[in-house]
Amino acid sequence: MKIFIFQRIAQAAIIVCMITITVFIILRLSAGDPARIKAPVFARADIIEQYRRDFGTDRPLVEQLMSFVTNAVQGNLGDSFRYQAPVTDLIFDAMPKTLALAGAALLFSVTIAIVLGSLAAQRPQSIWAWLASTVALFGQSAPVFWTGSILVLVFAVGLGWFPAGGGDGFSSIILPAFAVMLSILPTQLRILRAAMERALQDEYIRTARAFGVSNVRITFVYALKNAFLPLLTVIGLDVGYLLGGVIVAEVVFAYPGIGELALIALNSRDFPLIQGITIVSASIFVAVNLAIDLLYTALDPRIRLEHT
Amino acid sequence: MTSTGITGRLYLNPLIILGGLLFAFIVLSSFQAQLLTQADPLGTDLGAIRQAPSLEHPFGTDGVGRDVLARVAHGGRLSLQIAGVGMIGSLLVGSITGLLAVFAPKPVRWSVERAIDIQLAFPYVLMAIAITSAVRPSTIVLILLMILAGWAASARVVRSIALQERGKDYVKAAAVLGIPKLRVVLLHVFPTVWPSVVVLAAMQMAAMIVFEATLSFLGMGIQPPTPSWGGIMLDGKNYITSSWWLTTLPGLAILVTSLSLILIGEGLQKRSLFLRSRESDS
Repeated sequence: MKIFIFQRIAQAAIIVCMITITVFIILRLSAGDPARIKAPVFARADIIEQYRRDFGTDRPLVEQLMSFVTNAVQGNLGDSFRYQAPVTDLIFDAMPKTLALAGAALLFSVTIAIVLGSLAAQRPQSIWAWLASTVALFGQSAPVFWTGSILVLVFAVGLGWFPAGGGDGFSSIILPAFAVMLSILPTQLRILRAAMERALQDEYIRTARAFGVSNVRITFVYALKNAFLPLLTVIGLDVGYLLGGVIVAEVVFAYPGIGELALIALNSRDFPLIQGITIVSASIFVAVNLAIDLLYTALDPRIRLEHT
Repeated sequence: MTSTGITGRLYLNPLIILGGLLFAFIVLSSFQAQLLTQADPLGTDLGAIRQAPSLEHPFGTDGVGRDVLARVAHGGRLSLQIAGVGMIGSLLVGSITGLLAVFAPKPVRWSVERAIDIQLAFPYVLMAIAITSAVRPSTIVLILLMILAGWAASARVVRSIALQERGKDYVKAAAVLGIPKLRVVLLHVFPTVWPSVVVLAAMQMAAMIVFEATLSFLGMGIQPPTPSWGGIMLDGKNYITSSWWLTTLPGLAILVTSLSLILIGEGLQKRSLFLRSRESDS
């Protein structure tokens, strides 16, 4: 078990290193000369040269990479062109907001997947089963930015229950989280429903029924324990999809998270900021995946056996 | 299911027929837009700015008086073409990597599997932003971004099926007979993966429609004034509080298209399950 955990952590570390180096090299090779981007348009050659020295781009690529990595490990990712502030500060202002939005969306969707999926699995002919299929079909077809716009139109402009955008307070999370939830729900709902259908046919469930255990307890305690594992797997696999949706929702709702920051950085060619955002988020996603992997082995001991 | 008539022989089911009709309607109104509306998708009319839907302009007009229905219909052609190319590309890359992840030598297998993991774990929108910051947005870049966003999902499906096939007797027998691995994979394993690739094609096409719209909506896709579904909605974003039709109705086109494709995909899946069960019966 210890070897397995160690292996996974080492793998994650290697992946983060590889991503960092790739992002650095690709951006440095293709984004053009950062000094020219930062300097005023008609700057004199000696001023551009000065910027180049400040930025370190007059040195060989390998040397730049080394100093970038040394700084990055110490938590210094350079300064943003646009905001004239350390990239790390900007990222750590925005990241908690993004994670809160992602967390809220995940909470909504897991809750609905469990409740609706279980009801649909229990009564395949009922209105719940129909509702589960319809919601899954709709969520899969509708782009996040479209459901987001509709939610703004109905609940912010029409009914005025929630703010149309911005990032202050709990009420501004609800609408974007709901839009993101609709896009990640379909897979989770289908997986949980199928797993629940299988679990409910198992013998231990029949035994529990024979013992007179209540239906609710059987479904949400006994069967859910087994049906939850596949759900956890798709949650882990879809982390990228979830955060992709969150970024889009941030743009639609002008929610000041990482996605909004990244898009502003893209439009103002703020190249240290893009570099920082990509590397930091990549590391976080690798860490999240690692956590889910380890959580999964803790919940299902059979997986450990396969690997060691 | 009866075996008479055309639906019987092709083993169509209601899902395929409904999805197919919807999709045919979308394709027809995009590629033959003049059948639907005579209005010019690029022609501005400053006397008719942001008019609500009416008989003359069924989807209303936008901020410079262009007919939204005409823009949606003409935009659909580009969106569908790009999604189609992206779908084929992502299936191609996905099938190759999916098979490599099962049959290649161990180091290749390991790195392909890690690549799939990383790709699935990393938000594609952020990757798209990082890449467009390095290169200028263009149609080719957009297609490459879409392939990048979609290949891993197809690779995962192909890999899981190939993994089951690898353990089967016919693959082992072929290895014992000394048949080259490439031949086994292409001629014997791939045909068993094919029905799932067909299902994937419909599902991926739906996903690609949404990707294209999303990237264009974020300003990384088709550049204005050429109409594409995401771009039309981006135009309408600023007027969302006053002119609901500028975002709602183009989005409806995206919704109906991807809905029809998902219906086709689910129908095809049912069909292949049915055919397989029938094969094992006889």
